Amino acid sequence: MSLLLDYQYFPITKPGKGAGGKTGSWRVVKPVVDLSKCIGCKACFMFCPESTIVPKGGKVTVDYEYCKGCGVCSNVCPVKAISMVSET
Amino acid sequence: MIRKIISGNEAVATAVKLARVGLTGIYPITPQTSIIEKLAEMKAQGEIQTEIVRVESEHSAMAATYGAALAGIRAFTATASQGLLYMHEMVWWVAGSRVPVVMVVGTRAVGAPWNIWNEHTDFTSERDSGWIMAFASNPQEALDLTIQAFRISEDERVFLPVMVGMDGFILSHTKTNVLIPDQEQIDDYLPPRRQPYVIDPEDPVEIGNMFPPEGYMKLRESIHLALKNSEDIIRQHGREYNKKVSPMIDYSTLNSSYRLEDADYAVVLMGAWAGDAMEAIDVLREKGIKIGMLRVRYLRPWSEKEIRENLEGKKGVLVLDRSTSFGRGGPLYIEVKSTIRDTEVKDIVTGLGGVTVGKSDMIYLFSKFVEGIKEDVTWYYPKEVGKLDVRTPRDIE
Ligand code: SF4
Ligand code: SF4
Repeated sequence: MSLLLDYQYFPITKPGKGAGGKTGSWRVVKPVVDLSKCIGCKACFMFCPESTIVPKGGKVTVDYEYCKGCGVCSNVCPVKAISMVSET
Repeated sequence: MIRKIISGNEAVATAVKLARVGLTGIYPITPQTSIIEKLAEMKAQGEIQTEIVRVESEHSAMAATYGAALAGIRAFTATASQGLLYMHEMVWWVAGSRVPVVMVVGTRAVGAPWNIWNEHTDFTSERDSGWIMAFASNPQEALDLTIQAFRISEDERVFLPVMVGMDGFILSHTKTNVLIPDQEQIDDYLPPRRQPYVIDPEDPVEIGNMFPPEGYMKLRESIHLALKNSEDIIRQHGREYNKKVSPMIDYSTLNSSYRLEDADYAVVLMGAWAGDAMEAIDVLREKGIKIGMLRVRYLRPWSEKEIRENLEGKKGVLVLDRSTSFGRGGPLYIEVKSTIRDTEVKDIVTGLGGVTVGKSDMIYLFSKFVEGIKEDVTWYYPKEVGKLDVRTPRDIE
């Protein structure tokens, strides 16, 4: 639809990543996905409270800029493909 | 088209049906309840497909309607009085989001104290919220204006919600002859819904998130301009309604006039009591008093042009307000007085909380006005009011 009238504005924006949820230096463990074990069920994607699991090519990767290292993904993975690795 | 004897509320329900509304957010409040009862009945009998969402408050009724509208569905709700006040926050959210929605308000007094009868204060108190505000004077207009409301609201030059006011009980519950358009006529008049954006998981948008001051102010100006521009668009859709649906009531203007052209004096009012005023005008005309009436059909947009054209040059203008802006008189009076210059404007506040003002009262008020009343705002009681038996429960020391 064309909304060409120059006085018309709508209070919407495109969602993007905010700086507020960035992990910074405080995460102590990070999830590492063993792609050879991952069956692509997306349970981790569904349960990650930060939406930092990124489905990719039938499997998943993690966006470490925002992952807080809570381990939920590791816990829900039915095939134990995600292990929590110390960062300290 | 067929003729049917129905109430204002049934006329509104019929308009909702004809407009093929997809969702109605409902919470019953007197005197609007029978609109949603009628819709529920139509739904039960399979006459309409509307999703009827029952919620726990008016705030939620508007929120549900808003949500459906954001998702791209033609949505409707109705309310009155305390209910409108309760949804006030959502009323602003809908206008600020620029999403088309239609609501009918069965006007009613606002407490305290409790009073279920008619006045316009609930309606007029929303006049700064960015909604287009129409006001019906009979059930036929309630039906016609509700259908036109969807057309106006969904016009890309507007994209603002529309509320249609209707005098509680006086119109909502009394039955009269109403011309009901055919579905084909309305389908021809009302094209499929258009709106500025939708919520869509495939292409997400953030709605109403934090805006910096300048951006926020620009959005406010956008509402202001869309509301101002809607004036011509309302006339355009009104003419089209006259052509495609019914020529019975002239919708080519935002206000309606009666015996005004050659009149020395003018009366301005809004709503159902226009009928009594017209009869009173006929009586005074027979006595040689040249008086006419301008009935406000759209409080927003406020057509300065029409008001000036119709009222400037008159010897005097009397505004009848069925609502209050405490300490200032009536909202309609304030609007009229700020629009016309060089013409004397007086105000009568009356009819609040169901006080009956009929033809004989109008004859009295209009003649008194022509003779020359002194005060700017007069509170008029048709009957003697005895000493009110109200007091504080305990004397303050
Ligand atoms: S550790 Fe927590 S935040 Fe990080 S990907 Fe797993 S569930 Fe998400
Ligand atoms: S829960 Fe485990 S198996 Fe399922 S997608 Fe995530 S990592 Fe792969």
